[in-house]
Amino acid sequence: MANEVVDQGRRRFLTTTTAVVGGVGVVAAAVPFIKSWEPSARAKAAGAPVTQSLKKIEPGQQLIVAWRSLPVFIVNRTSAQLAGLPKQESRLVDPSSTGTSADQQPKYAQNGTRSIKPEWLVMVGICTHLGCVPDYVGDMKPEPFDPNWQGGYYCPCHHSRYDMAGRVYQGVPAPKNMVVPPYQYLDDTTIQIGVDAQGAA
Amino acid sequence: MIKRYFSMFALAFGLLLGTSAAVADEGPELPSAGTNIRDIASLQRGAHLFFNYCVGCHSLKYMRYERIAADLGLTQDDVMNNLNFTGAKFGDPVISHMPADDAQKFFGKAPPDLSLEVSAKGADWVFAYLNSFYLDPKSPIGWNNTVLPNAAMPFPLWELQGEQTAVMKPGTPGDDAQIEKLTLSRPGRLTPEQYQQATRDLTNFLEYVSEPAAMQRRQYGIWVVLFLLAFTFLAYLLKKEYWKDVH
Amino acid sequence: MANVFSSIGDWVIERAPGLMPVYRKHMTEYYAPKNFNLWYYFGSLALLVLVNQIVTGIFLTMNYDPSAAGAFDSVQYIMRDVEWGWLIRYMHTTGASLFFVVIYLHMFRGILYGSYKKPRELVWLLGMLIFLVLMAEAFMGYVLPWGNMSFWGAKVIVSLFGTIPVIGKDLVEWIMGDFLPADATLNRFFALHVIALPLVLLLLVVLHLAALHEVGSNNPDGVDVKHGPKGNRWDPTKPADGIPFHPYYTVKDLVGVGLFLAIAAFIIFFQPTFGGWFLEHDNSIAANNLVTPAQIKPVWYFTAFYAIVRMIPSALGTAVWGVLGMFGSIALLFALPWIDVGKVKSVRYRGTGYKVALTLFVLAFFGLVLIGTDFTDELFPKLFGSDIDITAWDNAFGRVMTLIYFGFFVFLWLYTHLGWEKTKPVPERVTTHD
Repeated sequence: MANEVVDQGRRRFLTTTTAVVGGVGVVAAAVPFIKSWEPSARAKAAGAPVTQSLKKIEPGQQLIVAWRSLPVFIVNRTSAQLAGLPKQESRLVDPSSTGTSADQQPKYAQNGTRSIKPEWLVMVGICTHLGCVPDYVGDMKPEPFDPNWQGGYYCPCHHSRYDMAGRVYQGVPAPKNMVVPPYQYLDDTTIQIGVDAQGAA
Repeated sequence: MIKRYFSMFALAFGLLLGTSAAVADEGPELPSAGTNIRDIASLQRGAHLFFNYCVGCHSLKYMRYERIAADLGLTQDDVMNNLNFTGAKFGDPVISHMPADDAQKFFGKAPPDLSLEVSAKGADWVFAYLNSFYLDPKSPIGWNNTVLPNAAMPFPLWELQGEQTAVMKPGTPGDDAQIEKLTLSRPGRLTPEQYQQATRDLTNFLEYVSEPAAMQRRQYGIWVVLFLLAFTFLAYLLKKEYWKDVH
Repeated sequence: MANVFSSIGDWVIERAPGLMPVYRKHMTEYYAPKNFNLWYYFGSLALLVLVNQIVTGIFLTMNYDPSAAGAFDSVQYIMRDVEWGWLIRYMHTTGASLFFVVIYLHMFRGILYGSYKKPRELVWLLGMLIFLVLMAEAFMGYVLPWGNMSFWGAKVIVSLFGTIPVIGKDLVEWIMGDFLPADATLNRFFALHVIALPLVLLLLVVLHLAALHEVGSNNPDGVDVKHGPKGNRWDPTKPADGIPFHPYYTVKDLVGVGLFLAIAAFIIFFQPTFGGWFLEHDNSIAANNLVTPAQIKPVWYFTAFYAIVRMIPSALGTAVWGVLGMFGSIALLFALPWIDVGKVKSVRYRGTGYKVALTLFVLAFFGLVLIGTDFTDELFPKLFGSDIDITAWDNAFGRVMTLIYFGFFVFLWLYTHLGWEKTKPVPERVTTHD
């Protein structure tokens, strides 16, 4: 019965063309749905830069402010804590923040204290392992988890440790130093988190 | 055969659109507002009018300053210096600084939010409303409106339009007097033509505010429809090819 | 590329050999009559719209807030703040109206060609159940934006149950979970709209298709191809007038899908409110339990049935008659296979009486739509002068339309049960195809 000549080439060509055009259409239609998961205008507005005064933060004290719903640690580091920073560098993964942690801070915080002004640490308090909020353990005394503790952060979830500049220790699950957000000094005692001097968010 | 179906489709679709247009104008016939939300200059002028004359009482609670800037081609500084007088942040919605309690006290009812005014009432209605205020000594606020009788709002644009008074229809005594037309009894800062254009701009801005997405959807729409028609054509060729088998 | 797909297919079939017969039964070896015309696009289109409603609906729930305090705001949040939220919402709202356009045409096709008759009564009954669930689904979805029309629509429709004697009042409060439509009402409608009813719909659609594929599709000639001569170019034992659904009807339906989507896209991108028919102006005002909109009327797709409620006056101190009339008008459609017992299926070969009755029935349906949307309030003064008594004209027109609607079923029963119908001879084979 199938003795009529069918132009298989044309048939295959049309099938492929229709399928490809249809496929392009389906992919294009998926784009708005995928993009609808991006932060909405409301979320972006709520994530606008946060201004914080430093006046009431005593040496050795930490203040946590929310920026884009993230906890941002602001620490007034004591001179003892600052002096302790270089002592442990041999035990850190990336003490100069130039290796695996090169993208964890803006350029202006890529230094030994990971900050603009040495005493003021400004850092997103999210463990780089699985996103818990590490505890601030500022006292420089032997701790059960580290007899040579020079002050820093201890993550309760999987026991990752960081020093007083948020630099991660070797031999813990967390791979990188904690993130320093973009920030700038509006005046000597006021910082703005979420925007740096160049104006980029 | 196919051709006949297509024309049937077109006809049915046209009929539907025709009737929908007919249903849309409810109530008395209103002149067309003649708005065009693609006219960015008009939207900018309308925004300035809104933020100079309306925002004192009316909010646009669903509209963010940032979005207005982006859609109307304004910079952050333009908006924050020339439109935003409430100290709100750039990302915040437009909220009037009048406390609701005060408004309740002054006008007997809180001034409505205008985010969706054009969606709810139509551009023609808003345009006509802005052009239909007249002096009415019987009204407690001194003003009345032919489109919305006993409106609670005193006329905020009077210094632009001037003062209109009502001319009554010659009626038999005892009947309720009916307004025949409004005449300009004292001119304002703008000529009647300029005032019409100003209210058209303001209506245009409110139309944009009631559906900011309208700007994007028209841009994308034409390409989506053309793409789908191209796909239909391909599918039609494919169908023709396969159906050569069917006798 | 094609080889990759076919080898994946082989891999699956090797491990689940039972799938192949299912695929063959419903696609490549489902022999559908070759003379389907325009009316036969609407089944596959209904399925397409169902998929659209489910996908866009899922994405809407991601940003919608089903509470009386937050619902209205969250819809505007979707329209403005969510990236592309406006498109997803318009696809859903336009889809809702087009769902009914497609379903009504699909049902009319069934009536036109007698597709409800033996042996397809079960297909028809399942289809009518789908229609019923779809109406409930659409009504509850309409309430969710919590605009003023949503609120008052909910109030009025739920009040229909209040006309039931004795239990009515308690039933209404039970449905709403409050004394007016409120938070509790919105929450339960949301749950039903996004989970319960879609599950029921999907199940019914599967059953509808399964039942159809047991008996085979009807066609514009109403000829049963299964009982006709055998042997076609694909299989000597299969109906001579049948062709494999895949690829012939899949490619044909693809043309319908493309054109339908182009029309839908035009509405979504250029006329999303459709002049107030698909999205009503008064629903741009948030729900207000103190102010009723100037005109309370359901969305267009309910108006024909809703108009019947208005056209039947109360009697004996109860308004239940109008409600009975409305439910009756739908119940009669369920009973169609037993009301119309004529042996000839397709309108092409039926008696003149049937053709006239069906035309009047369709006109009555459109007439009721016009009444229900209050369109006649503007039409009549334009046609007959502005000084007429609109209510009297409305009632007169609407009652005639209601009588014709019900009269169709009465006539059809008499016409076929008493053997008044003079039919034309039905051909042995299907006549035309394109």
